[in-house]
Amino acid sequence: MPEETHRLTLVLFIIPALAVLTVFQLVPMLWAIWFSFTDMALVGRKFLDYSFVGLKNYEEALGDPHFWLSMRVTLYYCIASLVLRLLIGLAAALYITSKTFRGKRIIAGIFLLPYIIPGTIHPYVWLSMLETEHGTLNMILRALNLPPQSWMFERLTESIIAINSWAGYALAMLLLASAIASIPKEYYEISDIYGASRWFKFRKITFPLVKYPLILTLILIFKEDIDDFTYAYMFTGDTPYPDFRTEIIGLYAYHKAFMDYELGFGCAIGFIIAVIVFVLTLIQLKISRV
Amino acid sequence: MDGILKKIAEPSLTVIGYVILLVLLAYVLTPLIWLFITAFNPKGGPYLEIPREVTLDNFVRVFAGETPKEGARTAARSIYIARWVINSFVIAFATMIITVALSAPAGYALSRLQFRGKELLMTAILVMGMMPTTSKMLPLFRLAAFLGFIDNLLGVALVIASGTIPTQIWILKGFFDHIPREIEEQAWICGCSYLSTLFRVVLPAAGPGLLVVAFLSFLSGWGNFIVPLILIYSEPLYPISLGLASVFVHNPGEIGLAIDYGVACALSVIYAIPPILVYYVFREHLMEIKLGKVEIR
Repeated sequence: MPEETHRLTLVLFIIPALAVLTVFQLVPMLWAIWFSFTDMALVGRKFLDYSFVGLKNYEEALGDPHFWLSMRVTLYYCIASLVLRLLIGLAAALYITSKTFRGKRIIAGIFLLPYIIPGTIHPYVWLSMLETEHGTLNMILRALNLPPQSWMFERLTESIIAINSWAGYALAMLLLASAIASIPKEYYEISDIYGASRWFKFRKITFPLVKYPLILTLILIFKEDIDDFTYAYMFTGDTPYPDFRTEIIGLYAYHKAFMDYELGFGCAIGFIIAVIVFVLTLIQLKISRV
Repeated sequence: MDGILKKIAEPSLTVIGYVILLVLLAYVLTPLIWLFITAFNPKGGPYLEIPREVTLDNFVRVFAGETPKEGARTAARSIYIARWVINSFVIAFATMIITVALSAPAGYALSRLQFRGKELLMTAILVMGMMPTTSKMLPLFRLAAFLGFIDNLLGVALVIASGTIPTQIWILKGFFDHIPREIEEQAWICGCSYLSTLFRVVLPAAGPGLLVVAFLSFLSGWGNFIVPLILIYSEPLYPISLGLASVFVHNPGEIGLAIDYGVACALSVIYAIPPILVYYVFREHLMEIKLGKVEIR
């Protein structure tokens, strides 16, 4: 087969995938930017007959106390989830990479379970923990002589954080476990010969070698949390709580577009998220090539 | 001496270590155990209890669709639950076929072609897949409305597939890179036609990669929630994810009041089985890919 025909065939092989990517990923992204400068509405005349309004949506967002409430909830949600997912994931990673501990394959399988099952199941499995009267969490609190909490109402933000960290710590576990497992054993053996303490080994060997995977883990977790509003949606429905306790930014964009019909405004919020994620993605690509 | 050294270098778990491990295991497993028990409990509620009798009733009700408990929120919807399961399968299979059909040729071509700006194209493809759904969902809705994808399972599958294709192209390119060109050239020399070389030589050699990609894309179709949330509005067309959410979602402040827990848990168990099977069968494969430079989600 002549070389030129071969090359041409290969180019034809790429085109369908690129076409689908362009239509369903690139165009919506560019559209989102364009729509965010218009007064497009989900229903009525303004769905088709919209006009350019400049930065009005962004000004409105930045001047809207609801937007800032949502930002506050988002920040609280993301940071708390980040810390919990990282800590639990690190603890789990230490167990599944431990060299002497038997049965770690089984343990690793169990630790993976929450991450594997589809996200819409997570709020269900946590109902038994959160229920006010007979829920497991409140049972534990009562046993410890602490006041039970209203997990499903007053403490809803914390509950969603708890669900999210339960569902997502395995990502940190997988990434950190592979980072820890790839440290050559000899480093520890040599430092043992010189009588190094555990803390010294962690500070001088483990941590420096796990630093980049750690930053990568942080970025991946943050990106997952800021984009996914499944749990927040399931605990909120179609109308936000008056005090926005569950209104993380993605859900706010969804409510604005599909309940208040302000598509342009929703796109503006979406674009703000996209910029954050884009910057993080670039850092991530940079790090994963190190 | 050697033994002692080894012991110091790799301390076995201490008592505290075991206690923390037990706490972790309890934390991970308690909610799941409740889910599993309640699926077999005829009178389950949102609390841990040992059922007095064990029954498969809940599973039967998922598929038979008879009217459940009086006043339960699932009452109006239960007739559709069996269809939700079928819809999820349709979406997942369609996502799988579209993804493999599009990303296998692209991955192969990107592995064999050399051209200027290839690195850039590969990065651009990856970045496209990493852009947040939240920012794309509103224009996607508009685009889907224009293309007639609202309430269309295949449309949903195509949109989900477009999100998974970037990572799958990367994974498959990696697999094709490992297949030496000489094999293809040998086949051509021996008179094998171009297409039959592809189908008889290249594809079988990339078999494990294709299998992994097929299962991963099946799972992203199976578990996706946001795309159906935006594109599907009629209840008989819900996939399980949307169905479970619609049973769960209430007005603020009244969560969990009228869920038929038995049926919801049985449906959740059914929903969780395919991903669990796939992950444990392909664990080694998936771990490798996930921990490499490509991230599967």
